[in-house]
Amino acid sequence: MPLLYPLVLSAALFGIGLYGVLARRNAVMMLLGVELMLNAVNLNLVAFDAWFADQLHTGQVLTLFTITIAAAEIGLGLAIVLALFRAVRTVDVDEVGASS
Amino acid sequence: MIAAALLVPFIVGLALLFLRKRVSGRTAASLGAAAMAASLVLFALVWDGRDEIGGEIDESWIEPLGARLHVGVTVVSWPFLLMTAFIALLCCVWLIAEDTAPALVGLVLIISASALGVFASLDLLLFFVFFELALIPMWFVIAWWGDPHDPVGRRVAATRFLLFTVTGSALLLVGIVLVASRTGSLSIFQTESASLVAAVLIVLGFAVKTPLVPLHTWLPDAHSKAPTVGSVLLAAVFLKLGTYGLIMLGALMLPREFVDVAPYVAGAGVVGIVWSALACYAQDDLKRMIAYSSIGHMGFVALAISTMTDIGLAAAVFGSIAHGLVTGLLFFLSGSLKDRFGTASMRAIGRGLYARTPWLAVAFVFAAVASLGLPGLAGFWGELLSLRAAYEVGVLDQPYAWTALGLAVLGVALTTAYFLRAIRLLAQGEPVSHEGDRDLAVREAVVGGALALAIVVLGLAPGLIVGLYDVPATLNGQSGTTYDGTYGPVER
Amino acid sequence: MRRTWSYVVLTAALSVAVAVWAVPHLEGDASTRVWVEGSSLLGVSLATHVDALAAQVLLLAVGVGLLVQIYSTAYLGHHARYRSYALVIILFLFGMIAVVAADDLFVLLIGWEVMGLCSYLLIGHEWQTAAARSGAAKAFLMTRVADLGLLVGILVIGQTYGTYRISEVITQEPDNATAIGLLLLVAVVGKSAQFPLHTWLPDAMPGPTPITALIHAATMVAAGVYLVARLMPIFEASELVMTLLAIIAAVTMLLGALFALAQTDLKRALAWSTVSQLAFMFAALSTGDADAGTDHLLSHGAFKALLFLGCGCLMHAVGSSALSAMGGLRLRMPVTFWTMSIGFAALAGVVPTVGFFTKDSVLHALDHGRHEGPLPEGIAVMLLGVALLTSFVTAAYATRLWLLAFLAPATTDRAGLSTGSRSEHRAMTGPLLALAVASFALSIGQPFHLGMGVLSTLVAAAGVGAVLMVWRRGHSLDLDAPWLTSELGLDRPYASWIPSTTRSSARAVVDVDRDGIDAYSHGSVRVAELASRVLALVQTGNVQRYATVIAAGVVVITAAAVIWT
Repeated sequence: MPLLYPLVLSAALFGIGLYGVLARRNAVMMLLGVELMLNAVNLNLVAFDAWFADQLHTGQVLTLFTITIAAAEIGLGLAIVLALFRAVRTVDVDEVGASS
Repeated sequence: MIAAALLVPFIVGLALLFLRKRVSGRTAASLGAAAMAASLVLFALVWDGRDEIGGEIDESWIEPLGARLHVGVTVVSWPFLLMTAFIALLCCVWLIAEDTAPALVGLVLIISASALGVFASLDLLLFFVFFELALIPMWFVIAWWGDPHDPVGRRVAATRFLLFTVTGSALLLVGIVLVASRTGSLSIFQTESASLVAAVLIVLGFAVKTPLVPLHTWLPDAHSKAPTVGSVLLAAVFLKLGTYGLIMLGALMLPREFVDVAPYVAGAGVVGIVWSALACYAQDDLKRMIAYSSIGHMGFVALAISTMTDIGLAAAVFGSIAHGLVTGLLFFLSGSLKDRFGTASMRAIGRGLYARTPWLAVAFVFAAVASLGLPGLAGFWGELLSLRAAYEVGVLDQPYAWTALGLAVLGVALTTAYFLRAIRLLAQGEPVSHEGDRDLAVREAVVGGALALAIVVLGLAPGLIVGLYDVPATLNGQSGTTYDGTYGPVER
Repeated sequence: MRRTWSYVVLTAALSVAVAVWAVPHLEGDASTRVWVEGSSLLGVSLATHVDALAAQVLLLAVGVGLLVQIYSTAYLGHHARYRSYALVIILFLFGMIAVVAADDLFVLLIGWEVMGLCSYLLIGHEWQTAAARSGAAKAFLMTRVADLGLLVGILVIGQTYGTYRISEVITQEPDNATAIGLLLLVAVVGKSAQFPLHTWLPDAMPGPTPITALIHAATMVAAGVYLVARLMPIFEASELVMTLLAIIAAVTMLLGALFALAQTDLKRALAWSTVSQLAFMFAALSTGDADAGTDHLLSHGAFKALLFLGCGCLMHAVGSSALSAMGGLRLRMPVTFWTMSIGFAALAGVVPTVGFFTKDSVLHALDHGRHEGPLPEGIAVMLLGVALLTSFVTAAYATRLWLLAFLAPATTDRAGLSTGSRSEHRAMTGPLLALAVASFALSIGQPFHLGMGVLSTLVAAAGVGAVLMVWRRGHSLDLDAPWLTSELGLDRPYASWIPSTTRSSARAVVDVDRDGIDAYSHGSVRVAELASRVLALVQTGNVQRYATVIAAGVVVITAAAVIWT
């Protein structure tokens, strides 16, 4: 498989994720956007790992590492959003910024 | 020895800052006076003849930059060092009073030690570090212990002072970097030529400090709002950082480039003489008037430096020292007046001080007469030698130099006029007594007496300083000699 | 009392020391001595040169100084500030000694300016009064501005001759004489109160009368004459300078005499008389005859000091120096009357007082100057004519003052003023007598020129006779000449034009300094504020907007990197 396909897919994923982070006001949606960007990176890592036929598979190792980090991050992030919602009854970042 | 002379006031100053809650003001000031006296004696002893660098220390410091811990006493810096230590000693003596804040003594010591460091440095980066080190404590001195009746004004004045001088320092730093990058050496004894831009930047940096017109507007505010010792240190020591820099880093270090800058320095100097004299004539605040008069005196020094002759060098050094002593005395006395009457406004203080506080009035008249350049007192020789340097033209054009001479002479006349006005407004006239009428206290008399003595001694024996720059030459054989390494360590 | 006499003792010690030093040189063997050798760069050494002329002037200075100190014990001894007064007089004497005995021009300059300072301090001794304050400031300012000519002149001498030692300068071939002469002339004109810098001397009269006698009659104002005499070879070498000096002398002597004639105040009249007599000396000097000028300096020093001290006695007695307050004092103050009569006679030039002989010498020098010397003939003739006219006026005003002070009927009742010795303190009459004796004693050995002597006696007699005739006929001796009493308005530039110009330009400078020059610092504040306001627009506080900018930046940088590599 040419390298181009996964790269285009990952660029698209990254773009969608970036759009989510920049344009959405809902904190949960922004976290999802971050996840999409992380996955785009993961896709890149795996694709290049396969392309370079790396003996040590550092790309795949790093992907596993990123998935772990992403899991921790989303857990922590959702917890913060939940705490925020309990505190100010909203998860809209503009309203949170204005109310603080 | 020179390390001790620099470190003692630094350490005592820092200690006083940290222990400011533990010691009384009187003890702190006495300690400070002792430290400065020790420093003064050490600097006097470290002198090793005019062709040697006294007490030289040359250690490696920041290897990659080529900066070295290089200090020593040269024929140019020695009078400055002694004068600074002497003035700082008198400042500490002045502060021996109940209401002195120990931290103020500590700051005074640190400022003085930094100035001593500037004069003793033989490395450009070290010079710059000390140059900057003196600034911040001075901001505190002005902003915290300045005019108690004008808390806003003193902060504004302090900040203006800081911003002006820091801007000047920035230009100076760029100049130093340019010199170092061109010649590859940070030593103050440069042998190769640097660029004109570097010389211009360095001269501009020092012109703010000196100050030369039109970069002088920070000075009257800072002087008039500073506490007495602050004003004295500003006038006697800080302005000398500028003139010393112009002499050492300008005319001596970069002679080839300075020739092109010299006419502008001379022009700014003489315009400053006339300008400041006129400004003095319209002042009501005594401290402002003395501050403006400082600009005029520094104008004479700038004129002397710009001729780049031996006599000009002697004139610049003598003028700087004499100004330090005379203006120091004037600021001490106006501080006395401000302590008594709560203001330095001549109208508010009122007339007839001859009758109300006789010794204070006599001391003030003495200082005023010394400042207007009466022959036989220190102030005269600096002006005279400067006029002589201008008459002998040096590196300037003859019509230009003689025009400058004419303007400087006009400035002398105006100087007489405004000091007579001040004497008339303060010392003479029908006395109206005031609750603040107290004659000189012991500490004031000691400080004033010491300065007056120094002024008379230098006035009667100008050779004490001028003799340092003697060259074996007849009088009219030396016109136009430029700095060619005929004196001191510049040959290196 | 003991306190006041201790200063007299100090002055006496100084006088004796100077006399011991000076007397051996009276016979003409000059000695030059270097006390302290200066550094070669500075070129100033403490050197003295005493010749016959210097010895004479030194003796005059310390002699009058001592007499004035004695006189002052009675005149001002009760004064609260007697101590500072007496000390400043001693300082003044040191200054005068420095001027007279100096061989190094800078030592001379120091003495010259110290004298100026002492003059300032002493004129302003009664600093409560506005007249004393302004008179003192005016005297100091005008002389000091003029002294700058001496300062620059000394620099030019040093450059031209390679030395500051007078004895070495005057033995060299004169060079650059016009420039040096003109510069020195400025200082001389200022110090000796010659036209056009003459107005300070009459205004210096609020000072105590003894110091007027010492400083503003006998010594300091005569220092200008001494300087010209000392540097005569330089002055002589330039016809321009000598012509200028002659013109100044001619204008000043006549103006001074006319102003003295019109005065209603005895002290001020004597001040104008001093101005006029100093011009006499300069007239002699301008012909190149230094001896005639300095002889008149010495004789004038004696008789004018006498007149001023006598004037002080009268002021002490009647409490004012106005002529209208005096009159009829002949019997009440006999010693003052007789000694001042001698003084007036010397001023008028009556045989055999010293004034006659020295004036005779001056006129002879002027007559001589028509044929040889540095002056053009026309100028010399004019000078001689003006001098004779001035002699006439001088005799006239001397007679007038004498009549009005002593012989005119008293206009006010003086019940409180006792007759005879009680109003004349012995410490005050003693110096008068000494100076009166000197006014005769100095005549011994003076040169005498028969033709000129007869002519000048006739002129003086005409002057005296004219006034006596007017007085005999019962006319008032007050001249009704407003242009003379206003002194031709010559003081206006110094009294109003220059001060007001300085004041207004000073105000302008302060304004420009605050609003003009400081503009760049205020301007930079404004630029910084403006820049911060523009940049603050970017700082919205919205994280997502920042992130958008970052993302856009990344894209731009990546694109740029791809395109340009």
